[in-house]
Amino acid sequence: MSDALAITRLQLKILRRDPWFLVIMFGMPLVIMPLFKQTMGLSLNDSGFTDASGAEQVVPGQVVMFSFFVAGSTAFAVFREHGWKTWDRLRASAVTPTSLLAGFALPWVIIHVGYQTALYVVGGLLLGLRPGLGSIPALALMIVAYSACVIALILLVASSFRTVAQVSGFQNVGAMVFGGLGGALVPLDQLPGWARVIAPATPAYWAMEGHKAVLLEDAGLIDVLPSAAVLFASSVVFGLLASRRFRVDETKQFFA
Amino acid sequence: MATQPPGILGVWHFLAPITHQEPNSLAMIGQICHTLAMLVARGVTKSYGDIQALQGADLDVEAGQIVSLLGRNGAGKSTLLSVIAGLTEPDGGSVEIGGLDRFTHPDDVAQMFGIAPQDTGVYLVLTVRENLEFFGELARLSGNNRQSRAVEVASQLGLEKLLDRRASQLSGGEVRRLHTACALVHRPRLLMLDEPTVGADVETRAALIEAVKELAAEGAAVIYTTHYLPEVDSLAADVVIIDEGQILASGSRDELIQAQALEGVSCVFAGELPLESFADCEVARLTEPSSVEPMVEYRILGQLSIAELLTRLGPQVAQLQSVEALRPDLEEVFLSITGGRLS
Repeated sequence: MSDALAITRLQLKILRRDPWFLVIMFGMPLVIMPLFKQTMGLSLNDSGFTDASGAEQVVPGQVVMFSFFVAGSTAFAVFREHGWKTWDRLRASAVTPTSLLAGFALPWVIIHVGYQTALYVVGGLLLGLRPGLGSIPALALMIVAYSACVIALILLVASSFRTVAQVSGFQNVGAMVFGGLGGALVPLDQLPGWARVIAPATPAYWAMEGHKAVLLEDAGLIDVLPSAAVLFASSVVFGLLASRRFRVDETKQFFA
Repeated sequence: MATQPPGILGVWHFLAPITHQEPNSLAMIGQICHTLAMLVARGVTKSYGDIQALQGADLDVEAGQIVSLLGRNGAGKSTLLSVIAGLTEPDGGSVEIGGLDRFTHPDDVAQMFGIAPQDTGVYLVLTVRENLEFFGELARLSGNNRQSRAVEVASQLGLEKLLDRRASQLSGGEVRRLHTACALVHRPRLLMLDEPTVGADVETRAALIEAVKELAAEGAAVIYTTHYLPEVDSLAADVVIIDEGQILASGSRDELIQAQALEGVSCVFAGELPLESFADCEVARLTEPSSVEPMVEYRILGQLSIAELLTRLGPQVAQLQSVEALRPDLEEVFLSITGGRLS
């Protein structure tokens, strides 16, 4: 465990030296949110939420979609070690493969939770989103569950892919496709029938289900438990597959 | 291999760090006292597809001994180090470090050795101090020990004034020194340096060699791969010659030179040497003629002086471009054993 914590501290230190990726990933959704607020408001009004302003869709939607981009950094951190030729040095130390995986996952779960929370708070304040105090634990649960699920999925990607270009492709396309199908870009009932059928296969769907239940229907902790449970269960499955697939001696190709 | 034992002081330095460590390390002392062999590798084999990188390689290194592993590119040096470090799984053979099986006691063994692979690997965004302390932490050094060792090692390698500078702001030679320092920080009992001076300047080379000698004087076993033969002399290292994945010779520099009993001349000749004139000698053609370079380099082993060579060539002496008597040195030993030059 101490090895995993040492690697966690190292990852956070590296991020502190170059925080601009996170700064950009924080600023962009804040620009996009107001652009689509009114349109999303009309869409929600059509769906029967007559008091909705649109912030109830656009804030969690952008949080869910951009979180996927941020989660991709977990895989980049693994590949970066190969590029910096430090991966073999980590392997030659007494660090076990499990500690290695944990050391790369833990900092990004922390960052991911912090990122979603900060985006929720700032985006909510800018767009006038005021969830009741009773809703905060439910929102917090959804944020943690989505973080665990997405980071585990990205670890599976890092374990399975050989080049950073493959990871980058998955991160970009995955964020758009999963976000779109899951109802993060537009409300689910605006999507075609076939998309609504396959939407539950995406983590974004369950995250949006939970978030919108809290923001539009004043749902509490108990109400979002099913969505959170699906996300946690998925994170366990992804995590197990990642640890099964993870081979420390596999060569990964970073940017040439 | 015949080697100088490190002496009682070297043995004490070697054992002293262990006595302050955990019980399972204490259990090692008995085994280590029984024999000072820090590394025993036997019959190590490794193939990559059709390529046999290692073909039953044996290697012993004792505490306090510096072994220079010599071989051409692709000879199997890095693969052997990689197997010893646990980075590559061998197809066969055994590796013991400090009396413990490398593959059944990976955690205990990992703390005993340090490796600086051929490719420079440091965290460029971190400072020299942060790099050293991080690798010290992975090697289970406690907080205070970690900090003091980082300063000690940095000073050993001439990096003490750069401790708080980011690695990205260091020169190439300084990064190379930091790369090696990261392998030394936990005072390993087996140190493996894979071509540590490639691309290094004179100052870096001298600092690295001094640091390696100091560590060996404290009782560490060192495996040092290089293409620069003068470094073998500077380190007063024993020599192991590897070619095509096999250990072909080992011993001290003097032993190897004596064993090869090299005598004869090397020459550059325009065209084919009249072999019939040298029937009593062993003639080796070291280069092939081409349209660009018609000269051929030969090595003629036997009771042959330069004067005798000139006499035997007769009128063909005009084709002789240069000639020199063989000096019994490591380069010649390497050539004699492997049939090719080191670099």
